[in-house]
Amino acid sequence: MIYLDSAATTFQKPPEVARAVAEAMRTMSSPGRGGYGAAMAAADTAFACRSELAELFHLDNPEQVVFTLNATHALNIAIKSLVPPGGRVVISGYEHNAVTRPLAALGAKTAVAAGPLFRQDAVLDSFSRLITPGTDAVICNHVSNVFGFVQPVEAIAAICRQRGVPFIIDASQSAGLLRLDMAALGAAFIAMPGHKGLYGPQGTGVLLCREGLKVKTLLEGGTGSLSLSQEMPDFLPDRLEAGTHNVPGIAGLLAGVRFLKKQGIETICHRERLLARQAAEGLRKLPGTRVFALPKMTAQVGVLSFTAAGRDTEAIGSALGQREIAVRSGLHCAPLAHRTAGTLDTGTVRLSFSHWNTAGEVERFLKAMGEILS
Amino acid sequence: MEHYLIIARSITYAQRMQRALGKAGIRCRIFRAPRDLTSLGCAYAVELAPADLTAALQILRREHLDPV
Repeated sequence: MIYLDSAATTFQKPPEVARAVAEAMRTMSSPGRGGYGAAMAAADTAFACRSELAELFHLDNPEQVVFTLNATHALNIAIKSLVPPGGRVVISGYEHNAVTRPLAALGAKTAVAAGPLFRQDAVLDSFSRLITPGTDAVICNHVSNVFGFVQPVEAIAAICRQRGVPFIIDASQSAGLLRLDMAALGAAFIAMPGHKGLYGPQGTGVLLCREGLKVKTLLEGGTGSLSLSQEMPDFLPDRLEAGTHNVPGIAGLLAGVRFLKKQGIETICHRERLLARQAAEGLRKLPGTRVFALPKMTAQVGVLSFTAAGRDTEAIGSALGQREIAVRSGLHCAPLAHRTAGTLDTGTVRLSFSHWNTAGEVERFLKAMGEILS
Repeated sequence: MEHYLIIARSITYAQRMQRALGKAGIRCRIFRAPRDLTSLGCAYAVELAPADLTAALQILRREHLDPV
């Protein structure tokens, strides 16, 4: 199979990730639940993973690294900690349902800072106009899951700092691909999956929390601390980690993060960009295609969307699937992004790359597309 | 053998203490705090040799790591 759906999950993982998962299942129980060897081994692994992530994203304190089920879980905690029912929020025009649905559930008054695709300056202007004192939160993904558009989060963070508005970054597509410095950004929260660019197993996610923030619990339960109290601890990570941890997942995530650091974020990002560019150039030569990329892949990383005139995007996805090529078609759980880009009616076919893809795979994909469109 | 215990609010906090002390060359062990040493219900203890106690407390203070 040629797997080009890494924006959903990096299905192909480093071999050491599976080994770490298996080893954890054999040797580790649950962190914070006992002083015996298997519990302490689990605690050591969890702490090592928090510490690696804290270093990668420039947090001083590994307690501010919270394990979640996925990025959606992390975003829900972040949003519900900052946005009261009916609160005022500014979001980008490229947000995922993981942001827009929690906001809808809260009945938030949401202003959309939209700008044309790959126009960071326009997006920034929109945010600058809409962020006002009294805004409860600003939420922006670093990279669009549909178009790979890199949004100017550093500049948006600067506006938020100036205006005293908390900033939530959805790093679902950028964690492990682009540098993010939590300390410099001053973001309130950064949410990310563990199973995409960090190469951990599915069922892992991470929420980075700025120190001193009041965080709301989505779950209450046992934490292995302050057990006599019927209130959740007021300190992290325990406040947000009720119940037994996904220790095999965390062990796999640790192996994934170490793999990533060894390879180098910039190296992986550069490689994915080259593959996306190769795909974009090849697709443009096919009849009727519309490729969502600037010629030099400006402001874009390894996610690429396209359509073909008169062809159903789902049908293209199915035809590729029959040829053992995995892509994602449709709206990608991001109708807002499609509305902003003008593709809501058709959706797009999305290719997304990882460390494991090759130029040869892109060639085979292009050959298959040539057959499908002929 | 005589030893001292520093009580931490959570396993992660105890691990932060252990790491800070380890960086300064002070070896210590983490285990579940005995019930009679804490009113928290569940907590963790960092075990130190008596000779390391003064230096350890200074390091923890410097790192803003407060025992319970």
